[in-house]
Amino acid sequence: MAKHTGRGLAAIEYPSGMNQNGDPSQAWIKVKPDGRIDVFSGTSDIGNGAKTIQSQIVAESIGVPYDWVTFDNSNTDSSPVCTGTFASRATVIAGNAVLKAAEEVKTKLLEIASAEMEIGPQDLDIIDGEVQARGAPSLTMDVADVAAAATYGHGQLITGTGAELNAFAAITNSETGEVDSPPHAAISYAACAAEVEVDDETGIVRIVRMVQAYDVGKAINPTLVEGQIEGGAVMGLGLGVLEDSYPYYPSPDHRGSHFGSYFVPGMEDLPQIETIIIENPSATGPYGAKGIGEMANNSQPPAIAAAVHDAVGVWVTELPITPERVLRALDAKAAGGGQPRREGKHIVFDEELSVNSVASGISWTSDS
Amino acid sequence: MNITVNGDELEVRSPGLTSLLRVLRDELDVVGPKAGCEAGGCGACTVLVDGAPRRSCLTAVAAIDGAEVTTVEGLGAADDLSPVQQAFVHYYAAQCGFCTPGMVVAATHYLDSGGSDDRKEIQEALRGHVCRCTGYVKIIEAVAAARGGNFDLTTTAEGGYTTVMTGDAK
Amino acid sequence: MKAVGARLPRYDGVGHVTGQTTYVDDFRVHGMLWAKALRSPVHHAAITKLDTSRAEAVPGVHAVVTHTDVPQLEYGHLSGLGIPADEPLLAKDEVRYMGQPIALVAAEDLEAATAGVAAIEIEYEERPTLWDVREAFDSDAAVVHRWGNWYPHFEDEMDRRQIRKGDIQKAFEDADHIIQGVYRPAAIEHVPMETQVSMVVPESDGRLTIHSCTQAMYFSLGVISAHLQVPLNKLKIVGGTVGGGFGGKVDTASETITALAAMKAGRPVKWRWTREEEFLASSTRAPWHMEIIDAVTSDGWILGRKMLTLHDSGAYARFSPYGLTKHSFHHTGAYTIPHLHFDGYVVFTNRVPTTAMRGFGVTSVSFAVETHMSRIVDELGLDPYEFRLKNANRIHDTSPNRISYTDPSTVDVLQSIAGATGHDLAPAYAAATREPREGEWLPDHLVDQISTEGH
Repeated sequence: MAKHTGRGLAAIEYPSGMNQNGDPSQAWIKVKPDGRIDVFSGTSDIGNGAKTIQSQIVAESIGVPYDWVTFDNSNTDSSPVCTGTFASRATVIAGNAVLKAAEEVKTKLLEIASAEMEIGPQDLDIIDGEVQARGAPSLTMDVADVAAAATYGHGQLITGTGAELNAFAAITNSETGEVDSPPHAAISYAACAAEVEVDDETGIVRIVRMVQAYDVGKAINPTLVEGQIEGGAVMGLGLGVLEDSYPYYPSPDHRGSHFGSYFVPGMEDLPQIETIIIENPSATGPYGAKGIGEMANNSQPPAIAAAVHDAVGVWVTELPITPERVLRALDAKAAGGGQPRREGKHIVFDEELSVNSVASGISWTSDS
Repeated sequence: MNITVNGDELEVRSPGLTSLLRVLRDELDVVGPKAGCEAGGCGACTVLVDGAPRRSCLTAVAAIDGAEVTTVEGLGAADDLSPVQQAFVHYYAAQCGFCTPGMVVAATHYLDSGGSDDRKEIQEALRGHVCRCTGYVKIIEAVAAARGGNFDLTTTAEGGYTTVMTGDAK
Repeated sequence: MKAVGARLPRYDGVGHVTGQTTYVDDFRVHGMLWAKALRSPVHHAAITKLDTSRAEAVPGVHAVVTHTDVPQLEYGHLSGLGIPADEPLLAKDEVRYMGQPIALVAAEDLEAATAGVAAIEIEYEERPTLWDVREAFDSDAAVVHRWGNWYPHFEDEMDRRQIRKGDIQKAFEDADHIIQGVYRPAAIEHVPMETQVSMVVPESDGRLTIHSCTQAMYFSLGVISAHLQVPLNKLKIVGGTVGGGFGGKVDTASETITALAAMKAGRPVKWRWTREEEFLASSTRAPWHMEIIDAVTSDGWILGRKMLTLHDSGAYARFSPYGLTKHSFHHTGAYTIPHLHFDGYVVFTNRVPTTAMRGFGVTSVSFAVETHMSRIVDELGLDPYEFRLKNANRIHDTSPNRISYTDPSTVDVLQSIAGATGHDLAPAYAAATREPREGEWLPDHLVDQISTEGH
């Protein structure tokens, strides 16, 4: 009757954008007469921070303060196509769409500024809301004045449009799964070390600490990246030890229908979470960004499973690792079971779970 | 029946067994408190009734006739945020925001009733409030730091346990 | 000041903390009706009678919508990817899962709508059910889908997703150890704090304004317009502010049916799912059954992997064929393995249809692959970091689809975790990089896995 500590490791990868691509996002931007920027994007914000990230990308690439940007994703009349907020695509794919639109706006602002300042546009840049001549920082013109000149002097509406579409990667051989081009916009990588405490009397697995490293390419907003990683870690904890739509799977009985009978992680379940953000820029994402919103809950379950084995010497390979499963595994181990079958160079775990043991319609071995 | 909501005394016409949440949202158009489960399980509908946190979805309006109700809207406005509201912005304690109205109300009550900045005590005080986005890390950081307010709302706090490593660009 | 890389506050943060952010359920319009659904109370049955006339007569009821009101009853969400339609918007002559929507009643208030649902006359003739994906292939298994028990429409009308690379039998022959295991992560709920909800307003110009919690406004726009058989400009989706999604709101779960009710009633209609409906009738993350057989050497090289995946799709296909394909593309995890033999099936059961959820298709395989890797480490007495670093993706390694990796970071993330947790790596592993393989990092079995083609 004791509590045992264990550690486990997992490393994972995950693509940005829809698998096989072919998922467009578009955006357009207009400039008000005082230089304020209106962004129209069809990207839903599900809490991931699409409104914030895309506004930051626009502010940065035009060269205006963040609070000059208004972001409108409120409807499909004013916003152009965005395939949506899923597949870790809102920063990488839709972010590239607003980046392209912003670059066009900047070019047009500089053309007007060039005419007003009588300096070639290639010698101008926009910094913090002000057009500046390169090498002669005293020669300036407020973007507000540029926008007013465009509206009232040149009779122009300054707009920019952007569309991002990575070509669909077709499967060219259905036997082998070969594709004709990269089936992703980028790939991110992550690793997690989990430390658990397993009570061999109750079977309860408590997650004590999770240390996680994510290659995010470029953290457009490190605080929002942390929010994804921390939130994902706790969702991964739920996958690992708490949540199950069908507690007696495959039986459909005893489904949880309320928060009292389906167990999402609560505040009391929170372990120590340490986060390492690595920036290895991608060649494709805006400012080198990669999408990590989804993969944030992928590394913890296997790290927890390995940590449980490290703690008490049993492998639980059906999730979640509930007290019942831990206790059953410990009982089997105590009775001399729970070991793989070893035969020659074969080491065979979990035979009782295999299709070979349960059904006859399909078989699975290393020989066929 | 009458209840005072965020300082305004209002007449209630709904039947007495109607939940306070339904009265607030459907009759009085006070939609800050959210209907997350309507069974007391998530905390998104939490309001203060005479200063104490209550699940408005489980509170029959007749049971609080004459009471003072404070919802998230009553804690502070955009140009006059309360210390807890400021801390939630500065510490990035809200992502989708749907649990936030209840979380902010509960955290405000916790601090107003002398709650400490101890992480374990905050976890204990706010347990039962479900957040599916944040993993709670930044909510706890916000509550621990909130007392006193005066946060810089043009930026957010660096995570307590974060290292940023910049690789070599390829 | 720089905007990119800055810790700027959330664009909508002040709205969130003051309760001013407007979600779908916070919208109010004059004359709005409330909706309630009739859902299947059984797992699998023929519908032998469906009569809504008594429901329509219930006081306060303004519209009852069934399959007869849907211009195009079935529409495949991923028809553009060649995945045909199989799921009716509202059940017609058969229900295949408990909770499947059959009718929607719109009424003055929820009480009248609920009374309307109770007044619908419906009779079922129950049919056999299938729950265990492993039994789907047995000759005596219950048949649960019109396509049979597994999805038959992959490229070239194959009934499974295959990956083949190298020579798996040679890998098994060359291996010192052949290690086999089974991995079964559970279905879980998305549990967004905001349940599925939509409100549809018929406008004076004949258009519909659709307030939606969708994660994908244009995706949903396409789905709704296909079911209603109207051009895109007849519809306006209002949304973009969502109270959590995690993949479950990629399904256009309520909007189209609410729109039909609003059109039939000529009044605005709101349909908000209860938490119980969200738990029991909304889609889940899929349960998966995965079997891995790895061919490994005593010193920790993975020569080959044979893998079988049964993806429990529930009663309809939805996004599952897409998810399984994505799964197959990532079944080597963050590592390079030369000999591969993958078979995956999308299996139908009488469960609520499963759908996209955070990490779709890959959460499962990450669990299987990494737990299997940990077992290999334990069986062979290897170091968990060094085993992974050895087989890690490097620049110019090729993927299961023969695509060359351009910027893999397996090495970087592992080294930083080792550093942060105080795990000492042997000098060679501490010095490893993601740069292209050479020397000791390029054993014979990986020589033909290096390519600069297909970036």
